[in-house]
Formats: sequence, structure tokens, C-alpha cells
Amino acid sequence: MLFCLYISLFCGYKDNGIDFIKHLIEKNGEDFLIFELLRAPRALKAVIAGSCLSLAGLFMQAITKNPLAEPYITGISSGAGLAIVLSILFFGGSNYSFWGFVGAFLSSVTVILFAGLNKFSLTKLILVGLSVNIFVSSLISLLIIMNGEKAYPLMLILSGGLTNNTIISNKILFAFFVFAILLCIFIIPKLNFLRLDKDLVMSSNANKDFYIVFIIVLSSFLTSLSVFSAGIIGFVGIIIPQLSKLLVGQDFRWLFLINIFLGSGLMLISDYISRVVLYPLEIPLGLTIALLGVPVFIFFLTKKGGKLYE
Amino acid sequence: MSNVLEAKNLTIRLGDLTLFEGINFEIKSEQISVIMGPNGTGKTSIMRVLAGAIKPFKGSVKNFAKSTFYLPQKITYPHNITLFEYLSSIFFNNNWKWYLERDEKKRIVETLKDFELLSKRDVFLEQLSSGEIQKANIALGLLSGADLLLLDEPTSNMDLVNQMKILDILKHLKARKVTIVIILHDLNLASNYGDSFIGVNMARVPLCASKKDFFSVGVLEEIYGLKFKVVNGEKSIFVQTFN
Repeated sequence: MLFCLYISLFCGYKDNGIDFIKHLIEKNGEDFLIFELLRAPRALKAVIAGSCLSLAGLFMQAITKNPLAEPYITGISSGAGLAIVLSILFFGGSNYSFWGFVGAFLSSVTVILFAGLNKFSLTKLILVGLSVNIFVSSLISLLIIMNGEKAYPLMLILSGGLTNNTIISNKILFAFFVFAILLCIFIIPKLNFLRLDKDLVMSSNANKDFYIVFIIVLSSFLTSLSVFSAGIIGFVGIIIPQLSKLLVGQDFRWLFLINIFLGSGLMLISDYISRVVLYPLEIPLGLTIALLGVPVFIFFLTKKGGKLYE
Repeated sequence: MSNVLEAKNLTIRLGDLTLFEGINFEIKSEQISVIMGPNGTGKTSIMRVLAGAIKPFKGSVKNFAKSTFYLPQKITYPHNITLFEYLSSIFFNNNWKWYLERDEKKRIVETLKDFELLSKRDVFLEQLSSGEIQKANIALGLLSGADLLLLDEPTSNMDLVNQMKILDILKHLKARKVTIVIILHDLNLASNYGDSFIGVNMARVPLCASKKDFFSVGVLEEIYGLKFKVVNGEKSIFVQTFN
């Protein structure tokens, strides 16, 4: 991850690793500006998006005990997409990523509330989330079709990327991220406990439903943060948790750390590749991640996956 | 001797099927209480109501235990996890507490030793036999520190020797003020280890009795509908069935 951070911060089209650092230390004009205005915020957002997505995926997979669960399962991606599209169409699109965050969180809370009506159940959560996803995606397509002239920029934004926000929103983002990580540190031991079957009844287990909802809300919050910083990016949230399980097993204390490292590492390096390969064009980040991540994941899966999935 | 569980006026229904109507019984503390009877008569339902896993249709169960542990018949476990890690899960119940205390590690190792699983501590759960997994789950009950254990057929996949070993371990728990309610099918084992008995049959009226009363030809025939021969030995009771 440190290596990825180095690449992301100090290399770029206008590049040269060590020289760049020298210029930085001397506060040499142009390079310093590039660093402060472009690369540092980008790297920060890549780290936030990567670790939030993979942690959210880890939590959802742990709670549902389903290896196919992913962070967007609670209708987040479509909620975020709808909010982004609406904000661009009707509010001119300043700070659309913040609106994405709001939409993401609102939609998942709605889905969780629906699933909690009557009696909370995870299956209901998944089905409601799926339906809402499909419903809202159709709305998005409808909106895009009706506004044909803006279709291209909308599609570009919806495929995700570490776009520039204002400095204030970066600060909000960072504060939220620290808060979310604190909550994670608070709840991680509980995930180790929840490895035990939910049907085991223990007095010490009395409020487990509260914790399950807590963890789902937390992972919605994490996912919304990732939308805030990088838009809607698939794949990371389902693959990184799997990959880290292949590497370190089922101890959530290790899984927590390794997910942060792998998630942000993948994000940083993909962002670097997005920036430089087709310069001055930028490949949408989501595409790079898929093109880069899938072969790596399949490699590990065939090498080490036999044990886990037999 | 006081009561740990008191069931009052209990009505248990599965959908429209009434299993029990207005039944009363109690479980005495620091005893092994055995629930027995043919399949499908509602043993597990009684157990789940006692554990609080399902609510009775009517009536109530008063639980006086400090903490309760209920082991269902079938439970799932994660893959790719070692036996030691699995057992350690139970000690991660406090938020913020990221580490196992030395004392907790010691308790896990000692419990593994008691259950003769120490050599398998780093083996993945899915590589253990189903009897061994059952042993591990009972070990969880011990580690949980509960003073009321509700065990639903915990020995169904074990060989005779292991069944006896587990029941021996459970028997020693009585001295540590632990109460055990267990569903068993083997009459001879039950008579050896049980203190009081609840017999369940299709007549839907559970029959609570002490060991002496329960192992009489009349009661057993009423529960199972078979012919029995009961021999009262010096130390234990032997039961044989013939048709």
C-alpha cells in the first residue's frame, strides 16, 4: 500500500518520482501545486473509497453469511445514481458527489426500514434492496433518455472516478471517514463473535439484532462515503473481502486491516493507471479496476481458492 | 433445591397444530433433566420455548438462571476457520476488546483438553467429523460460562464412548452449580446420567418424573408404545425393549 501511495502521490504524467519529491521539499512552484491541489486530495479520496468499499463488503458478507453479498445490496448504488443525476439536471451539478452521498445513505436507510417492518430479516433486506435497485435504475435510465443532450457526461460520472470536489467537501469527507473508522474499530470484535450461529441463544447474545442492524447501517454509511469520494465503483466491495479471506482466514481483526490495505492499494494503483495510460484522456476508474482486479483475483482464486470454496 | 425454569400454563403451537395445551412443569437447579420421546412429539419445541428462541402461544416461562446457553440440533459454522479460532469467537463479545486475555486462551486450551480435541486445535472445522463438531459446540457452551445449558440432541453423531465422555463432563458440571436440560434418545445412557425426566408422546401431555418413577414399564410403554423390560441393578437401571 505504501508503494501504491508513493506511485499515486509522486508519479503522474508530469512525473519523475524522486525529482518530484525534491521539488516538493523545496516547495518548487509547479510541482508543489500539482501535489497540493491534485494528487494529495486524489490519493486521500482513493484511500477512503477503497477502504470504505472493501470494509462495507466485508461487513455485508459477514452479516448475510453469503459470499456474494456486496456493499450495494441495500439499494445504495441506484440511490446514489439517482441523486447524482437529479442534482446535475436540476441543481447544475455543483457538488454532485455530496448529493450522491446523501442519496446513497437515504436509499439504504429506506431499504433497511422496509426490511425492518414487521420483523427484521436479512432475506427481506436483500430482496427489498434488489427491487429498489431495479426500480431506481429504471428511473435513472428514463431521466437520461429524456435528457439526451447530457447523456454522455452523465454516463461518464456514473461510471465513477476520483473527480475534484471543493476543499471544504474534502474536509467533510475526511471527518466522516475518521468517524466511520472509529465505529469499525468499535464493532470489529463483535464480528468475530457473530461467526457463531445466530440460533445459538446466549444471554450475552440478547441484543444481537441491534448489532446486526448497526453493522448494516455502518456499512451503508461506508458505502455512501465511497460514493462521495469516487462515485459508483463496482467490484472492489465484493472482490477485496474475498481476496483478503483467502489471504488471512476468518479473523476479523486481521481482515479489517488487510481490507483497508488491499482496498486502498487497488484504488490508488488503478487511479494512477487511469490517469497516465491514455493521457490526456482519463479512463473511468471503475473500468480500470475491473480490468486490473479481475485477472489478479482469478489468479488467487485458482491458486488458493480450493480450500475456501470446495 | 430451587427451580431454574418454571413453565406455567404453556401452550405451544406450530402454525395451526397445537403441540401442547396449558402444560406446567419446572426444571430443578443443579440437575441433569432429560427430555425423551419419539420423533415429532415436540421435544425441540419445548426446548426452544425454554430457551426463549420462540415465544409460546400462551403462558410463560420464568428463567431464574444467571445466563443461558442453548445449543440447537443443527447449527451452521463458517468455513476456513480453525477449531481454536471458532471457540475463541465467544470471547469477542465486548466492543473495543480486540484481544484475547491470557486467561481466556487458557480456558479454551483446557476445555479442548477435556474434550480430547487438543490435537485438532489448528484443524479447519470442515475437516472435523460431525461428532467432533458437536463436541466443539458443547465446548462453546462450557466456555460461555452459562449456568443453564439447554442441549438439543448434542450427542446424536457420537460413538458410545464419546457419548459417555461428554455426559461425564456434563455430570461434573453439576458441582459447579450448572443446570443441564438435554434431549437424549438412548434410554440406558439417560438412566445413567439423568436426574429427572420429562417424557413426551403423541398424547401431548408431558410426563415429569424422577428417575425411579420414569423407568417403570408402565411409563415407558405409555411414551413409546413398545414393550419394555426394566431391570433395577445395584447401581444403575437397564432397559430392554422387545416386541
